[in-house]
Amino acid sequence: MRTVAGLVLRAVVVLTGTALATFSLLWHAPGDPALAIAEARYAAIPPAEVVELIRAEAGLDAGFWPAFLGWITPLLQGDFGQSMVTGRDIWPELLTAFSYTVPLALAGLMIGLGLSLPLAYAATRRPGGWRDRSAVALASIGAAIPAYWLGLLLILLFAVQLGWLPAMGARSPAHVILPALTLGLGVAAALTRILRSGILEARNQPFLPAIQRRGVASRDIARDHIAPHAAIPVVTVFGLELAFLLEGAVMVEVIFARPGLGSFLVSAIETRDFPKVQAVVMLTAVLFVTVNLVTDLIYRRLDPRIADRHA
Amino acid sequence: MRSVGCLALILMALALLGPVLAPHDPTQINIPQRLSPPGPDWWLGTDAMGRDILSRLLHGARWSLGLAFLISVAGLLIGTLAGLVAALGGKLADWVVMRTTDTFLAFPELVAAVVIAGLLGAGTGSLIFALTVTGWMRYARVARAIGLSLGTRGYVVQGRLAGLSPLAIARWHYLPSLMPSLAVVWTGMFARAILGISALGFLGFGVQPPLPEWGTMLLDARIHMRSTPLQMIWPGLAVVVCVLAINLAGDALRDALGGEDVHR
Amino acid sequence: MLSVERVCVRRGNSATLQDVSLSLAPGRTLAVVGESGAGKSTLIGAVLGLVPCTSGAVSWNGAPVRHCRPALVMQEPRSAFNPALSLHCSVMEPLTATGTRADPDRLAALCQGLEITPDLLARRPGQVSVGQAQRVGILRALIAAPPLVLFDEPLSALDAVTQKHTARLIAALQREAGFAALIVTHDLGYAAAFADDIAVLRAGRIEELTPARAFVEAPQTDYGRRLRDAAFALGALERVA
Repeated sequence: MRTVAGLVLRAVVVLTGTALATFSLLWHAPGDPALAIAEARYAAIPPAEVVELIRAEAGLDAGFWPAFLGWITPLLQGDFGQSMVTGRDIWPELLTAFSYTVPLALAGLMIGLGLSLPLAYAATRRPGGWRDRSAVALASIGAAIPAYWLGLLLILLFAVQLGWLPAMGARSPAHVILPALTLGLGVAAALTRILRSGILEARNQPFLPAIQRRGVASRDIARDHIAPHAAIPVVTVFGLELAFLLEGAVMVEVIFARPGLGSFLVSAIETRDFPKVQAVVMLTAVLFVTVNLVTDLIYRRLDPRIADRHA
Repeated sequence: MRSVGCLALILMALALLGPVLAPHDPTQINIPQRLSPPGPDWWLGTDAMGRDILSRLLHGARWSLGLAFLISVAGLLIGTLAGLVAALGGKLADWVVMRTTDTFLAFPELVAAVVIAGLLGAGTGSLIFALTVTGWMRYARVARAIGLSLGTRGYVVQGRLAGLSPLAIARWHYLPSLMPSLAVVWTGMFARAILGISALGFLGFGVQPPLPEWGTMLLDARIHMRSTPLQMIWPGLAVVVCVLAINLAGDALRDALGGEDVHR
Repeated sequence: MLSVERVCVRRGNSATLQDVSLSLAPGRTLAVVGESGAGKSTLIGAVLGLVPCTSGAVSWNGAPVRHCRPALVMQEPRSAFNPALSLHCSVMEPLTATGTRADPDRLAALCQGLEITPDLLARRPGQVSVGQAQRVGILRALIAAPPLVLFDEPLSALDAVTQKHTARLIAALQREAGFAALIVTHDLGYAAAFADDIAVLRAGRIEELTPARAFVEAPQTDYGRRLRDAAFALGALERVA
């Protein structure tokens, strides 16, 4: 129990650090944020009084720590504040963006799993055989292809040349296919490598031949001895894949002009809408740290040695 | 393994010699010849402003590979230093360094780089800063983990008894043992830096036009996807070949050193 | 003069050293014997300041032991050397750390006494035998002429012939240099042959502390007698008598 409390405490420290880092980055970013807001709002060079008014209104004249506290206090109560540019509440917009990104990420993950599981299984039937070598080669190439280029190639092939699928926007369910495929192929490349080495390692445990010779059915061996061992890399993968999915989503949403967290973030940065940037960053960090915490805890359940090692 | 090494060497040579090999000036605008298909004059065709794509790719190698090298080495230095401080500096230093590392890892690296580069304003300087700041944590973790395991080695104890300073111990007894693993991490981070530079360039936050960087070239080419799709293929292919070669070189290095899978 | 006064070391809930008191004068040799797990290595760590004492004090002439720059000869000779450096580099470490220059005559004399040829020092730890590495380890320990040298099972990694030879070399060098030697060993035969005094360590406590000859003739405790008789049975003590 002590380690669980320690891990939670660590997560809190890390989130506080993230909040501070984000805020000081915004605080020290070049350019006058008040001026940027004024320009974004009125689409013209505003008079100095207006800029000062905006500065006071946004709490930007109070100094670093008061401004930081003025931001973090409502955030802790679940209030993400208002957009500096439009003045609207950020939370509903963020939810909408989320509702676009989650199906995309899930579909990407499904495609990734659907491709990598059979591939990794086929590869490990005979390690070093042609299936294995081609699976490894495919995965290596896949890991080297950047998502934005893959997305453009898919658009070129399926939308421009063949005209089978829609590319830009998110008007119909069919619009999710190409973005999800872009994400999923990248996920599949990474997953295949990890699953393959996980299965191989699980199969090479030194005690397996002894169990086999005692006449235990191979299905029981797979269930009782191989699967739990192979589950550990799978849990790791989910932590890693979340990072990959989020990174991928940013690029994919920009390429496919799709609404979602990624385009929300990029447009917030471009308009220098600081509360929006902070909101996305903190939400992502909370999500990320929570998933890492959960994988860490599952890890300890699956492999008590890890808990000992870190104690 | 040898062929991978050769490929990596050829790429390095291209990055160094690119400007010499390039048949044209990469920024020479030539509107009458815009968007020409590949031909004897322009081996890979021209872009929307009539600039030779091959020349831009060759010059771009210097930006993409050179900056990635710079960024990955900067990350290596920062991360190794942080890891050594954590391993050698006692419990408090370890806690501070590791929680800082966790904080920087609390966010997907590329997304963090997008936020930092975007907020600092587009340009090469903020690109380098953003990717370096988000690219040192793996080195730090590896350096610390190996460093902690070295602390009880006989020769480290002997060094401390002899009265060597922590700096001398780090230099003579820690660095040589860290080098192989850090080299493997470095290849992975080099490849990631190439991807990061072109991704930021593609989003418009990286190297600014008219400098020929591969991601920026891809951003330009995207608009003319329908008329000249080939223009879009080349910069992406360049990224893929480089990243693949470096990753394979890293795998070969790891197998040669017999270490564990530390990257990705 | 090394003095260890009522030292306790705890790790977690278990005590690895309890109320250990010793003293050791220059030129003398004290052997600490005991079975594995008795706390011998912890004692070395506590004397060198590598393991913090829960209570009690360790000092050399009233000052912390580290001030006299003690040296340590380790059990595993090859892991005591950085595999990436030449043996010469490692041997010179105690001198380079203080910025002193090596006296070539002293180095030559030590090398001769330890039967180390100059080309041996140019090699790396992986390129020499365990016996050679241990002799180089002793060379490193003595290079800066420390007043106190600790030996942690100095012979147990060596084969029987090399053991005898190395033990004689250590004794000869001690007669010349006059350092105080604290030898931790499980080999009672070695302890009885070369030490002035023998301390029996058992489960973190000193059971008895007697002159070596007296111990061989008549141990004061049951445990000491059992240790001695076991050594007799193995033939380890016969070479003394």
